[in-house]
Amino acid sequence: MNYGRELLKGNTDSLLLCLISREPTYGYQIVKQLQKRSNGYFQFKEGTLYPALHRLERDDLITGKWQILPSGQQRRYYYITERGKQVLAKRLATWQDFSTAVKAVIQPETT
Amino acid sequence: MSNISHYLHRFKASLKIDHTIRDGVAQELYAHLEDKSRELEEKGLSKEEATKIAVQSLGSPELIAEQIYETHAQGSWKEAIFSALPHLLVALLFTSYYWRNVIYASIILALTVAIAIYGWHLGKPIWFFPWLGYYFMPVVVSAVLLLSLPAGWGWIAAVIYIPLVLFVFIHIMRQTARRDWLYASLMLAPMLVTFAWFSSLGRGNELLASDWAARLQTNALWIVISFVALAAATVAFIRLKPRRYKIISLLIPPLVVLFAVITASGGNICSWSWLLLLFALSAFAIPLWMQAKAYE
Repeated sequence: MNYGRELLKGNTDSLLLCLISREPTYGYQIVKQLQKRSNGYFQFKEGTLYPALHRLERDDLITGKWQILPSGQQRRYYYITERGKQVLAKRLATWQDFSTAVKAVIQPETT
Repeated sequence: MSNISHYLHRFKASLKIDHTIRDGVAQELYAHLEDKSRELEEKGLSKEEATKIAVQSLGSPELIAEQIYETHAQGSWKEAIFSALPHLLVALLFTSYYWRNVIYASIILALTVAIAIYGWHLGKPIWFFPWLGYYFMPVVVSAVLLLSLPAGWGWIAAVIYIPLVLFVFIHIMRQTARRDWLYASLMLAPMLVTFAWFSSLGRGNELLASDWAARLQTNALWIVISFVALAAATVAFIRLKPRRYKIISLLIPPLVVLFAVITASGGNICSWSWLLLLFALSAFAIPLWMQAKAYE
């Protein structure tokens, strides 16, 4: 079992919500943003993003809208919903608490 | 066929959900592949190389289809209970002599017809298919009863009526199976259970003998169990996410019906009835066969 992959799998929804909460965005841009912001740490099969986006949309955390660009190309932009904002705020708070607790445990004791 | 078209074709062929959702996701994947290919071409790759890498980066289209299916295929508890309701109503008819009461039977028949028409106008949601199965039941029974009309009239009526019914039935079956053959199974299930019981209650050519109603009542408990099993399988079908579990849930009712028929009759079934019974129950295995064929 790849521990890093398991961690990513468990936190994909929060990462996606976080990116979408900053600005409405679409699938390919999300992939690019994830790779750029993590300095290439998050590597995954790009297609797995779409089931995750549809799961978030089904749970009413984000909503997708088709937009036609001036070039004529169609893209589906995702927007965070009010419910999505609330869920993200809770998850970020939990993550901060968890991260602080893990750091406190793994750091050597200073006496 | 280009790499992208081939990829999207495989994706669409693997995804058995409402075609508007399927086409929407395919369009998203297409936009993604276009963006990625354009970017790679700008870096100096040839068009063919760029699309090949873009397709590889997305991963298996069958896997994406499976995950999208699991997201959209799970119905709510409300939908699950509403889908199981017609089976429970029929079970209720047999819990007493309700099925012989014209008023109760007419209310349930009218309710079934009204809900089936309502579901059709709503765009055939998942809960609609079991109701459609019951909607067809009186139509099929009418075709059988026409044959018993006096002196030749039955055959004349049957020659006009049966092909018409068959035409409409096959048309709807094809439409449903094109969306998802599992929905066609959901629609056929009540008819198959009813047919299985009818065939097992008859003795050779005495299928419509005068005492069939009495035989029906004698076996009422087992008939109720069969329809309750069908209701439970329908709830499981709607609520389960993976497609293979949905298929397994559809295989439970025929096993329950087979057990119920054998127990109720004490194994005293003529060979002709056995044949009809096994024919009806084996039809439940069609989705399993179709699924296996799809993976070949």
